[in-house]
Amino acid sequence: MRCIALVLGMLVMAPGSLLGQSLFNAAGLGSPSEPLDARTRALGGVGIGLQGSALLGSDPAAAAFYTLPAGFLTAQPSWVEFERSDRAEEGTFQGTRFPALGIAYPTVHSLVATLAFESFLDQRFESSDPSTITLDGNPVNVDDSFVSRGGISQLRLGLARRLGRRVAVGVSAARYTGSLTRRAQRIFHEGVDTTSVGAFQSGGFWSYSGASVTTGGSVFLGNVAHLAGSLTWSGALDATATDDTDGASRSYDIPVQLRLGATAVLAPGLSVSAGLARADWSSVDDDLRSGASAGVVSSYGFGVELSRASILGRSAPLRLGYRKTDLPFGLKGGTPTETVWAGGLGLNLSQVGELVRAGVEVALERGERSDSALSEKFWRSTLTVRVAGF
Amino acid sequence: MHHVTRTKMAMLLGLTALGSVACAEISPTSVDPEFLPDKPTSVMVSLSWEEFGSNLEVYGGFGDVYELREGMLARSFGGVLDARTLVRFYTLSTSATVTDSTGTSVTDTLLSLRGGRIVAFMDTVASVASGPVTLELGSLRQPWHGPSASWSMAVDTVGGQVPWIQPGAGPVERIATAVWDPAQGDSVVFFLDTTAVKLFRDTTEVSRGVLLGMLTPGARLKVNDVGLRATVHASLADSLLELTSAWEALTFLYTPEPGAAGNEVRVGGVPAWRTTLDLAVPAILTGPPALCAAVGCPVELTAARLIYAALVLSSQGMDAAFRPSDSLGVDVRAVHDPSALPKSPLGSALIGGYGKMIAPDLFSAGEGTDVEIPITNFVRAILHAETVDGFPPPYSLAILTALEPSSLAFASFAGPGTPKAPRLKLLVTTSPSVELP
Repeated sequence: MRCIALVLGMLVMAPGSLLGQSLFNAAGLGSPSEPLDARTRALGGVGIGLQGSALLGSDPAAAAFYTLPAGFLTAQPSWVEFERSDRAEEGTFQGTRFPALGIAYPTVHSLVATLAFESFLDQRFESSDPSTITLDGNPVNVDDSFVSRGGISQLRLGLARRLGRRVAVGVSAARYTGSLTRRAQRIFHEGVDTTSVGAFQSGGFWSYSGASVTTGGSVFLGNVAHLAGSLTWSGALDATATDDTDGASRSYDIPVQLRLGATAVLAPGLSVSAGLARADWSSVDDDLRSGASAGVVSSYGFGVELSRASILGRSAPLRLGYRKTDLPFGLKGGTPTETVWAGGLGLNLSQVGELVRAGVEVALERGERSDSALSEKFWRSTLTVRVAGF
Repeated sequence: MHHVTRTKMAMLLGLTALGSVACAEISPTSVDPEFLPDKPTSVMVSLSWEEFGSNLEVYGGFGDVYELREGMLARSFGGVLDARTLVRFYTLSTSATVTDSTGTSVTDTLLSLRGGRIVAFMDTVASVASGPVTLELGSLRQPWHGPSASWSMAVDTVGGQVPWIQPGAGPVERIATAVWDPAQGDSVVFFLDTTAVKLFRDTTEVSRGVLLGMLTPGARLKVNDVGLRATVHASLADSLLELTSAWEALTFLYTPEPGAAGNEVRVGGVPAWRTTLDLAVPAILTGPPALCAAVGCPVELTAARLIYAALVLSSQGMDAAFRPSDSLGVDVRAVHDPSALPKSPLGSALIGGYGKMIAPDLFSAGEGTDVEIPITNFVRAILHAETVDGFPPPYSLAILTALEPSSLAFASFAGPGTPKAPRLKLLVTTSPSVELP
């Protein structure tokens, strides 16, 4: 009952929609909003291959190491400075995502069941273009704007199991969910009687559906190395327009995604990790009405963890990492790239032996996203709250 | 138990932290036109009377002069208009509270009338006078009925009709004259002797009343208010007092009646005119060329694409007699039962307040000026085939003054069949449907 109450409490606290953190959200189907926890972010991870238990959609086998019921919630505020390559515009924005929340529950026969709600693609952005038009021979100031609000999420149900002491496997099925509102608007200003002339609006609402399956496994090589891999197959992502939406419903082919990761223990309390992910988004090209995908995109990252560090007598692992990620969609062709230097720590607030019953993990990233049209420099913080054994 | 408490504290700490970081959102926003999928196109469309209008009718007789609660004075204004104002005052008080020689407040019922005056207040904006104007004040000689009195009739009710002995509330027994100079202020004072004051305060005199007239030709004055002030001497104190009396009935008579409406849109006057017309809004637009060039024709005209709709009326020059001398508030209302016109119930005011204010010079030097009367929601209901309340939309409009009646003056606009016939102006904005990427 406590478990259920905890999860319900987290759901109440978490906003339902994703909030934008990049102008690259305007490209193609948006920019990835990977549901990674703070530990993975701090280690420059791609979502697989870290030692210990984790509830990650990209690493279904990692849940096999939960021995107690556990739940977590991740929040991710960002502060972004952007500049167009033509230097015609620069500015700042900030936003907070809640990329993942979920629970893991050990059941019979060493099976661990998982349920998670994860972000996938962020499509939130706004644009505005003030201009002057001519009506009846008279100049009229208008402000054209476009608002895209929403994104694609996944509701994931998984099972993981250890096979002996060295091997773990996992599988999860996810249903795409989320929605998107796109609205164009023209507001009239000087030049007409603004008390009588209204605003023009046109737009629509789409809801997302579809399914994907992720399977993965991991193996320990003695006590010094841990290897993991996963494969995600996705069915079509369907965007269904409401009856009163003029725009059409559409369907997109989401590519297979492959991930590999590894961790090596260099010394007691000191480990390094690395990961690699790859997906070919060119399959979406035929489905896109505008813009184009970046084709084959890959991500890699590596990090180092000092797990024996402590603060005020409590275990507080320190982490450093680097990651480079290609974004699947660009604004004007080409492949946008995100590079990040990251650092972070964990704080185990309640621990019994090796079991962490309550902990907070924080990651802070300094990075840059850019392509030929736009450059964004950002600070991104990730905060994950974990509880277990309730 | 210890661990449970720590767990709860950890959760509380974490959730508090999450709540704090979730504040202060600023969406990713750019002014780069590249981020706009498709810009809307806006075109102003003007439909001729033949394309949208029919069944224009002018109806008169709404309200009467008495409802205006104001007076009017004119003499040969515009060469034709004469107007006189009739006033009946409430009785003056026959007692007053005074302070006697011992300093005590007492009621004095033995007041001695010493004289008095009648003060008239003019509307300096709505009045038309090129200089000082001489006015006369007289007493009436026959009973009159304020709500029904007219230039020819003193009483004109279902129960009885009594003409004036002479048209125009005559003959008039002149009591005083005075000069009103518009440059000196808004009031004019007629001084009265005790006989005149007694006449106006005598409630047994059925014909009691004051007539205000004009001796100077070529002016038209609007009288906002008239008051009677009597000077009396107190018997219990050596002091003069002033007693005041407001009007009980205030109206005016005028001649001639305005001519019948011709091929025009006539609005206002007293009794007031209304103009009704039927609208037919095309569902498909095949022009003008600017629209077709911008978005291609034919274009479906939908409620969502209609940003603004206005009835465009062209003001006409008018004879001075009934030409507006102050702004006229014009409004439009839906006609709910055109078959019952002119007695059809009307909908609520589409503009509201004082309506669309129209400057008076549009009917003289500014004749031919276009006046736009917004009717966006009315036209949207037609395009949507129902009102916002889900009822079938009305297709008939009544154009009338916002306050009816509002003044002796009325407005006239060019009617159908003239070069400046009414038009329907539509601001149409379209854009390609918003699609997914």
